[in-house]
Amino acid sequence: MSTQPFRLAAGGLVDRTQAQSFRFDGKRYEGYAGDTLASALLANGVRLVGRSFKYHRPRGILSAGAEEPNALVELRAGARREPNTRATVAELYHGLEARSQNRWPSLAFDLLSVNSLFGAGLVAGFYYKTFMWPAAFWEKLYEPLIRRAAGLGRAAPHEDPDHYEKAFAFCDVLVIGGGPAGLAAALAAGRSGARVILCDEDFRLGGALLAEKREIDGQPAAEWLAATLAELASLPDVTVMPRSTVYGVYDHGIYGVVERVNDHLPVPPAHQPRQRAWRVNAKRAVLAAGAIERPIVFAGNDTPGVMLAGAVRAYVNRYGVLPGREAVIFTSGDDGWATARDLAAAGATVAAIVDPRAEIDAGLMAMAGQIGARVFAGSVVSSASGGRALDRVTIRDASGREQSIACDLLAVSNGWNPTLHLTSHQNTRPIWDEAIHAFVPGQMPAGLSVAGSAAGRFSLAQALEDGARQGTEAALDCGFAGKAELPPRKTDLEGIALSPVWRVKDGKGRSLGKAFVDFQNDVTDKDVELAAREGFKPVEHLKRYTTLGMATDQGKTSNIAGLAIMAELTAKTIPETGTTIFRPPYTPVAIGALGGHHRGRDFRPTRLAPTHQWSQDQGAVFVESGAWMRAQYYPKPGETDWLTTVNREVLAVRNGVGLCDVSTLGKIDIQGADAAEFLERVYINGWKALPVGKARYGLMLREDGFVMDDGTTSRLAETHFLTTTTTANAGKVMQHLEFCHQVLWPSLDVRLVSVSEQWAQAAIAGPKARAVLQGVVDPQYDISNEAFPYLAAREITVGGGIPARLFRISFSGELAYELAVPADYGDAMMRALMAAGEAHDICAYGTEALGVMRIEKGHVAGNELSGQTTARDLGLGKMMSAKKDYIGRVMAKREALVEAERPSFVGFKAVDPGQRLRAGAHFIALGKPATMENDEGYMTSVAYSPNLKHWMGLGLLKNGASRIGERIRAVDPVRNGDIEVEICSPVFVDPEGTRLHV
Amino acid sequence: MRIPCPHCGARDAQEFTYLGDANPKRPEGMETTEAAMFDYVYQRDNPAGRLRELWYHGAGCHAWLVVTRDTRTHAIEAAEPAKPTKAGAAA
Amino acid sequence: MSDAAMKPGWTPRSAWAGILSEGSFGAKGSAGVIVTAREGLGIASLIAPEDGEAALSQAVKTRLRLDLPTTPRIAVLAGRALVWAGPGLWLLVTEDRTGFADDLQALSGLAAIADQSDGRAVLTLSGGKIRAALAKGCMIDLHPSAFPVGSAALTSIAHIGVHLWRAEDGPNGAVFEFMVARSMAGSFWSWFSASAAEFGCQVTIPRACHVGRG
Repeated sequence: MSTQPFRLAAGGLVDRTQAQSFRFDGKRYEGYAGDTLASALLANGVRLVGRSFKYHRPRGILSAGAEEPNALVELRAGARREPNTRATVAELYHGLEARSQNRWPSLAFDLLSVNSLFGAGLVAGFYYKTFMWPAAFWEKLYEPLIRRAAGLGRAAPHEDPDHYEKAFAFCDVLVIGGGPAGLAAALAAGRSGARVILCDEDFRLGGALLAEKREIDGQPAAEWLAATLAELASLPDVTVMPRSTVYGVYDHGIYGVVERVNDHLPVPPAHQPRQRAWRVNAKRAVLAAGAIERPIVFAGNDTPGVMLAGAVRAYVNRYGVLPGREAVIFTSGDDGWATARDLAAAGATVAAIVDPRAEIDAGLMAMAGQIGARVFAGSVVSSASGGRALDRVTIRDASGREQSIACDLLAVSNGWNPTLHLTSHQNTRPIWDEAIHAFVPGQMPAGLSVAGSAAGRFSLAQALEDGARQGTEAALDCGFAGKAELPPRKTDLEGIALSPVWRVKDGKGRSLGKAFVDFQNDVTDKDVELAAREGFKPVEHLKRYTTLGMATDQGKTSNIAGLAIMAELTAKTIPETGTTIFRPPYTPVAIGALGGHHRGRDFRPTRLAPTHQWSQDQGAVFVESGAWMRAQYYPKPGETDWLTTVNREVLAVRNGVGLCDVSTLGKIDIQGADAAEFLERVYINGWKALPVGKARYGLMLREDGFVMDDGTTSRLAETHFLTTTTTANAGKVMQHLEFCHQVLWPSLDVRLVSVSEQWAQAAIAGPKARAVLQGVVDPQYDISNEAFPYLAAREITVGGGIPARLFRISFSGELAYELAVPADYGDAMMRALMAAGEAHDICAYGTEALGVMRIEKGHVAGNELSGQTTARDLGLGKMMSAKKDYIGRVMAKREALVEAERPSFVGFKAVDPGQRLRAGAHFIALGKPATMENDEGYMTSVAYSPNLKHWMGLGLLKNGASRIGERIRAVDPVRNGDIEVEICSPVFVDPEGTRLHV
Repeated sequence: MRIPCPHCGARDAQEFTYLGDANPKRPEGMETTEAAMFDYVYQRDNPAGRLRELWYHGAGCHAWLVVTRDTRTHAIEAAEPAKPTKAGAAA
Repeated sequence: MSDAAMKPGWTPRSAWAGILSEGSFGAKGSAGVIVTAREGLGIASLIAPEDGEAALSQAVKTRLRLDLPTTPRIAVLAGRALVWAGPGLWLLVTEDRTGFADDLQALSGLAAIADQSDGRAVLTLSGGKIRAALAKGCMIDLHPSAFPVGSAALTSIAHIGVHLWRAEDGPNGAVFEFMVARSMAGSFWSWFSASAAEFGCQVTIPRACHVGRG
């Protein structure tokens, strides 16, 4: 016990049988299960836990909850290090490691605290004013300097080793907050039969009941709490989620919740996540998030040892810790007096109670007498001092007379702000309630109601009554009538009278030192005054000019004081000055939790072709193509660079035969009496005349006249077509066709379904393609050139009766086929074709070789279908039918899209055949400077042709088609390229197309 | 947001793709002028308030929907199939 | 096709080959999640013409003794199921492919039919913790009050399109069938196995499905 000098001998909700040792700044301490890091530090007499952001002032622990602005630490070490963790909510565990932040070289001796001495220079607007000039200094000098001096903690140096999850939940009633109001609401709704989720950010349910010595129906509140939790646990459709913060309210009853599943353990157990981000869909919700106590602005109010009065009660009553032995209470309302009572009961000396009110309730005065506390009515604490630990406060009475009292704890109370943040996430503003001197929820997001302290109804009796009523009504809204009436609960008396004092000004013309409004961002009352003087009076200007409320705590303890001081300075009321509005998240949420499963390889789904295993067995190198993994090339042993491999693959196809997976192409089955008419309207070319058993190349435009996609369509029967799309555009084209069908022409009988996944498809290309194919096609099908000519498309069988589709189409310009079989047989098809091709030296080729051959043939692909090209640009203008209407027809004829100057599709080759071309190079006339004005287009695709033994390029060039034979430069400033090229036909190999028809 | 798909029920907005104003009608036929088509392709009102807009339930039933939504509050008044249902169909 | 006529070497490879392996993984103890691979199913999409839904409905009633569901539900009888897949669109799912071609032949002319048997990867998911595991990605409310036996839905899980329905309850409570595109079976399993691991997961691959694995 002696290791925890400030731990009470008994009492509190910590488990004294479970000691937990931990380290803070390398020093070993001991606490108990049920502690937070903050309570354990206080139990060990550790007051100084961090340095402030701007002035590096010593800071201690202000609060006992999520609002904490000061006690931010780095939790854990190594890859699990997490900066800016609030010690007040970090659950203690055995072996916990934490370090203070913002200090150098040590917490006790911080060199940068000189900022504090020269603080006059670091007032509001300092960054904006000082570091503006010269601009060049910003990046090299000012920013690194500021970053070193300020900064809140350090990010972990390695990848987070833990696992995170996203999850989705549905309920009738979501209850936010597990204090008396929330528990009463959950119980009422749960008893009615509604599906209820109760979330509380704490690891222990009970809220304020844990921190206070209260009675319900004449019994300790703990008994009511235990009975309520037991009943909730017994209800099958009630889910209680501790360690779960509702951080945001979104449209249509969606709530963001982060569950800290295993933050209370050093390492999450196997198979479990550290955190889980829930998206809760609730028909109704009840906000019962309680209230946050307000500090008072006075000189030295950030000295370690100055704490919120309610937090002091929490440390005494919940954690069995005395935050100090010689206490002074500074309170502007009755509530703070309870802290005096609880401290005295725990054995502390309460030296004084300072209350600015002249008249004090007689009962409170009697209590003060009993505990031997001097009462200073009509007085204020004008300053606190002691540097790294409070040792003295100065009390000033109404006449201005001051005296100082030694103490090690100052408990401050200035009333409470309802925790209404979530009510304004939909851009609805809170309203000022003069009776309780606080903002209360105004217009609420649909489906959300508010109960208890969060609604400004601060008494325990109100919380219980309010919660039960809101819970019942919420369930009723979801169609569940309350089964059991919840009787009103009788509670012990409590004082809620309040007369807030927003700041204590310096007396008699002397400055007593810094008085903080916003602790985390080091904003003082002087900063607010400066903002007012310089005209930054509207609340949004005040915020941005001073950074008030902009730190990680988002001003939970500071916003109202800032507003109140500005109101005073501008002689306005608080509501006239403005309201604060909040956005998600309520407290910081780790990006890891929001990402969940989706990181690394699981960032998005990966699609694998049914032939993937075969490609892998061939030693393929894969490339991402949209979501697909496609075989890029198939290196053979001894091939050390990709170009060698690709050259071999290209030559093998042109001189023999090759096999390539094309399963990833989109395939859309189109049926119906109006199928041909439908195709007429979506493609630029005609379809009605396409015979059954034939395929045709098609090009579709967007309605704005630019090319959308291309591919072949085959007519399998009179009213049955099979359309293919590019791999990249499959989803987009399906959506477009559904749009055309459902929205534009619903009366057409056309029925669309994707069959992309059903068919494995392979291209067999090269002069020996037919010979290979004959080895797998069942003998009753004649695939001779006469029986199965170029562009034939038929349903056949392979391998002894396996249904298949055979298309004589070619991307490579060779005699080529595409064979499709049901995906289960994709792997077998590739192996069978390889076996059949063995005698012909068949070669597996990938997308690289495919790309080389399409460039050799001048076929357009993704680089040319860029969304900025028209059919005419690509040399496909002649395909545009003049006899029918189709998508994009009218807009493609716009003046600027048909002018001669417009870059059009041509080929390029280097004048010196040894030179390499680069895609992305821009075309500039010979002898002209490489400027924007002289830009005539750009190179879209390049490849090395092993057939021609030089590089070839495709590109878009002004007046391109009419400039064949001219020379121009291809300028590539990024890679210092400037090459003279000759403009040529985009068809480099077999321009007559004779190879197709053999 | 949650969009009440008339076929599937209320679904998370992640399942849908947005297109925009549902009111412009495509000018059909060979007589269509460039001006009319220009209006159809590019001209949109941007009302603060009630708007009939097209959404595609791509991760669900693949239906194009006309959703009537208040652009200020996101309140959804109605969601109907864009494709009219013929009388006599079983659905 | 007759299997007897098939040439050697034409071994089918299932959608789950190389992805699923039989056995248990995740937390020790009794498995909270039970996975059974479904392979060799017959699956086809049926799309009725605009004014032909009544005729199709009549035909499936006559031939399959099933009522064509007009809401997101399934109709099941004797190893065949009709699953709602969108307005005017259904999947016919049969336990095996025997007689499947005959079923499709009987309905041809009444619907646009496309065989999808090879393009889908299907799992039967059950176990005491199955809803908790699915909650980690499924944006559909699977609570019995919202998703009773016979319900069907199309949705997206982990950015993967999913068609799911609830079969008759089994010994471990609710039983769900999950169908994903074949190409995304690996990514789906990556998400599902990560989600189920904390509950302990047992995977069964029926004997018939071992064909072509590896």
